[in-house]
Amino acid sequence: MTDKDLISKLNTLKNVSPESSWLKSNRELFLAQISNSGADKLSTGRIFFINFKSFLKASSQPVFALGVFMLVLVVSSLFSHKLFSQAKPNDSLYIARIISEKAKLNTVLNPAEKNKLAVKFAINHAQDISEVLSDPAFNNEENKDQVAKLNESFNKEIDSVRKMVNSSVAKTTESEESKHNPVEMSDEAISIAAEHKSEQGIEIKEAQLNEAPVVRATITASTTVKEEVKATTTETEATSTEAKVEVELSQDDKINEADKIIDEAQASFNKIDYKSSANDSSAIDKLDEVLNIIK
Amino acid sequence: MSSNIVKKFKNKQTLSRLKSRDKEVFTEVYDQNVTDIHRFVYFKIGSREEANDLTSIIFLKTWNHIQNNTLEDAKTLRALLYKVARNAIIDYYRERGSHKPVSLDDEQNPVDIAADMSQSDKIDDDQDLKRIISKLPFLKEEYREMIIMRFINDLSLEEISDITQKSRGNVRVLLHRALTALKELMES
Repeated sequence: MTDKDLISKLNTLKNVSPESSWLKSNRELFLAQISNSGADKLSTGRIFFINFKSFLKASSQPVFALGVFMLVLVVSSLFSHKLFSQAKPNDSLYIARIISEKAKLNTVLNPAEKNKLAVKFAINHAQDISEVLSDPAFNNEENKDQVAKLNESFNKEIDSVRKMVNSSVAKTTESEESKHNPVEMSDEAISIAAEHKSEQGIEIKEAQLNEAPVVRATITASTTVKEEVKATTTETEATSTEAKVEVELSQDDKINEADKIIDEAQASFNKIDYKSSANDSSAIDKLDEVLNIIK
Repeated sequence: MSSNIVKKFKNKQTLSRLKSRDKEVFTEVYDQNVTDIHRFVYFKIGSREEANDLTSIIFLKTWNHIQNNTLEDAKTLRALLYKVARNAIIDYYRERGSHKPVSLDDEQNPVDIAADMSQSDKIDDDQDLKRIISKLPFLKEEYREMIIMRFINDLSLEEISDITQKSRGNVRVLLHRALTALKELMES
């Protein structure tokens, strides 16, 4: 007899079972015995609680740990900027603040809001740099290299604020127009916008890439497009409708004002005598004004 | 992985409800396992009457064990029942003071063979089965236990490993040796 045959014969012994009369009588006896020891039917609430607890225990611990880790990662990326927001440019945690701000920016979906937040962060950086440089304990011969780096950083932040403000104001105006004049985009409009890339610098490119629907909304005809695009620069041209003229003036004013204040902030920063900077926060105040413009 | 989690959940849920003295769930547990436990005990000790008594004791002991102890040592309720059954059989042998193999081929207590077997199968299988049943008690205790759990009661290697506190590899080796020993007994 092979092993397989023997096993199949053994399997048939599964049919051996106790007598049904014994099964029935023993069952009743057994239930009576456990009832005497306090067994009873559980309430629905208690069963629900047991099911919940059992599910938690049954969930594989590595999976549970991974879930908790992911949750901590997501929460910390959303809120870590608040924890590190006080880190100054000369602190070791400053890099953590930069990273958390970037993470925060990535969670903002609306491009206009994202831009505003980026401007706010850049302004905060510039203000913090001013504050640090105004501290005589830091701004001395020993830290000459770091001071030079911070100066350079300030200028970079100011430049990025300037660019982002221009972009932010342009986007805000275009989105306001789109509510009143919803029209479709023409291919010619895209090519015209691209032609003006060199004139507009980075703003047009950002508008084209990030806000294509908004750009669409402002286009009515190829010639009008050309006029509107040009109007965002320092040139002024007459347009066909009064409504368009009104919008272009407001846009131009905003940018001019923002540019002016940024220049003033830069100038204030450049002429600050750092040893007396404790009382002089004009660069910081100017940057606050820029922040108010873009709101 | 999801089926494992469902299995684990059901097991934890059943044990927790038993711990909370849920009569309903223990009735289900009894109905699902009484035949298997009875069969296990019967093939171990060889007497139907004794198997009836022991089976009742085993379920009552399991109930009391759940109420009075933590249940972390038993992965499944079935494993717990078999552990209690093994201990109850050891106590039974101790009380009897002997460990002689008892023949199952007893005319006063014939083994019930399922009525759904075909007539031709019955004749051949009856003889083969009777031979197997007559030789089983002469197997080493450990081998007999392995054969009953694995090939008659269909326990998995993991369950047997948990019940006997042996590794899976060890269980596999024991099963192979048990089958070889039974074959040799039948051929002798």
